[in-house]
Amino acid sequence: MDMINLFKNPVLVGYNTLFAALLILIMGFLTGGNYADIKNSYQYYTVTLLVYGMLNGAMTASNCFMERDIKRPNLRIIYSPAGSFPIYFSKILSSFVFDYVLHLLLLAVLCPLLNVTLGIQPIFFILLMAPIEFAAAALGTFFCCIFHCEETTSTLLSLTISVLCVLGGTFFSFDGMGKTLAFISKLSPVKWLNDAFFALSCDNSLALYWPVFIGASVVSALLVLGCHIFFRTEDYL
Amino acid sequence: MENLMSVSHLTKSFKENKVLNEICFEVHTGEVLCILGPNGAGKTTTINILTAALGSDSGEIKFKGKPINSQLRAYKQALGIVPQDVALYDELSAERNLSFFASLYGLHGSDLKKAVDEALVFAGLSDRRHDKVKTFSGGMKRRLNIACAIAHKPELVIMDEPTVGIDPQSRNYILESIKKLRDNGMTVIYTTHYMEEVEVISSRIIIMDHGAIIAEGTKESLKEDIQNDKRYIIEVEENGSISHDDFFAIEGVKAAKIEGSTIEITSLKGIENLDRIIALLSNRGEKIRNITSENASLEMVFLKLTGRKLRD
Repeated sequence: MDMINLFKNPVLVGYNTLFAALLILIMGFLTGGNYADIKNSYQYYTVTLLVYGMLNGAMTASNCFMERDIKRPNLRIIYSPAGSFPIYFSKILSSFVFDYVLHLLLLAVLCPLLNVTLGIQPIFFILLMAPIEFAAAALGTFFCCIFHCEETTSTLLSLTISVLCVLGGTFFSFDGMGKTLAFISKLSPVKWLNDAFFALSCDNSLALYWPVFIGASVVSALLVLGCHIFFRTEDYL
Repeated sequence: MENLMSVSHLTKSFKENKVLNEICFEVHTGEVLCILGPNGAGKTTTINILTAALGSDSGEIKFKGKPINSQLRAYKQALGIVPQDVALYDELSAERNLSFFASLYGLHGSDLKKAVDEALVFAGLSDRRHDKVKTFSGGMKRRLNIACAIAHKPELVIMDEPTVGIDPQSRNYILESIKKLRDNGMTVIYTTHYMEEVEVISSRIIIMDHGAIIAEGTKESLKEDIQNDKRYIIEVEENGSISHDDFFAIEGVKAAKIEGSTIEITSLKGIENLDRIIALLSNRGEKIRNITSENASLEMVFLKLTGRKLRD
């Protein structure tokens, strides 16, 4: 039901597909002069804005968590011997599938259109997206378990993700702006995600692949555990 | 009757607000226990604690002699809950809803199919089984809401105001269904603020107000104290000259209350004093618009206990 609800939400579908595509097209076109070739600019923004979109999957999860139409019947799950695990885990799982599917569709359209490469073996690129999408969905649900309010959760998540993405070079790279800014940029995990995807797509290098893959998987597991600890049925009533 | 559940010294506060205060009661096997009280009396909080969805600050609930926390899974398996709001997936059919919720209680295969079929018959929705819930009327949703709670054949069904906001026909259907459940040996805890429903279905009644139990017993025992009372409700055009003390001069009058143009008088049954009450009002120049009278009712019990009406 969570999944049906998400796919029936035109705002969320549009945000993850049309809006993301438009942002990539506009940013790529406007900054084309800053790169050796406009193809490079599209390559840069397809990767960085895809990572931005994946992290924003946390907002999908928070939206899904507080959905009223689902919340009421979900109470029956709380009342049943099944307990509360299916409630928060179904939010994480459905948000993950929803965002993953839409982002794959986005890539399927944009890559041939803008001549963007995912590397010699795109399967690595696609597989690396999975733990990041999952971690983002778990992060959104975890925030909901702590704050019990969609507005607070969305505000905090949006702020945190935006700051990390700006620092991580989503909109412009800090690498050529001096040592201090380059160092600050490296503190943002988004920088590591971007670098891992760039290494895969442009250099066909797996140097950052496993650290990022394992790191995102561990973070996902910790966040699911956090959800289990902080989910209180009485806040859901 | 065998004791199925016992609740002792249940207390719950939300921040500074104490919503339950030392609640103690027992539930007997096969009875329909009605919890009656106005909005805000603590009925839903009590139900949420009974369903183990909410913790209490203190107190204990025992099911079949054992604390529920020591047998939570088995306890939840034995419960069927009808929440106050309709709790159904609108996008799924009646059958899919029943099937999903019953499967949470471990039913599958032919047992699940049989349980779903029986629940659909119970709700009178067999012919609409494949229709999405969003196409149902309010009454049909309420019936399915109950069916989802009883499909797995629980020992104890807890219903939290299941008839709020529905048409009289559906209400009657639901009340008849509860009688059927009772006849089939299920135990039911039923909360409501409609005393007419309590009159029809209750085996025993608990009256709650301000988070405490203020009376408990069968409807007959609760009415015992006021068995000999009769109540007149008189509406006058415009009351200005009369006070409630004036009525005490009339033989048999036990209580009088004036609210705007409505006068409520409690009198001893058997003493024919209505003519004197009318005469008093006429002498004071009051024009009577309407007079109704009623014998001992749960509304009168509540009025006597709290000094106000159930739905004030």
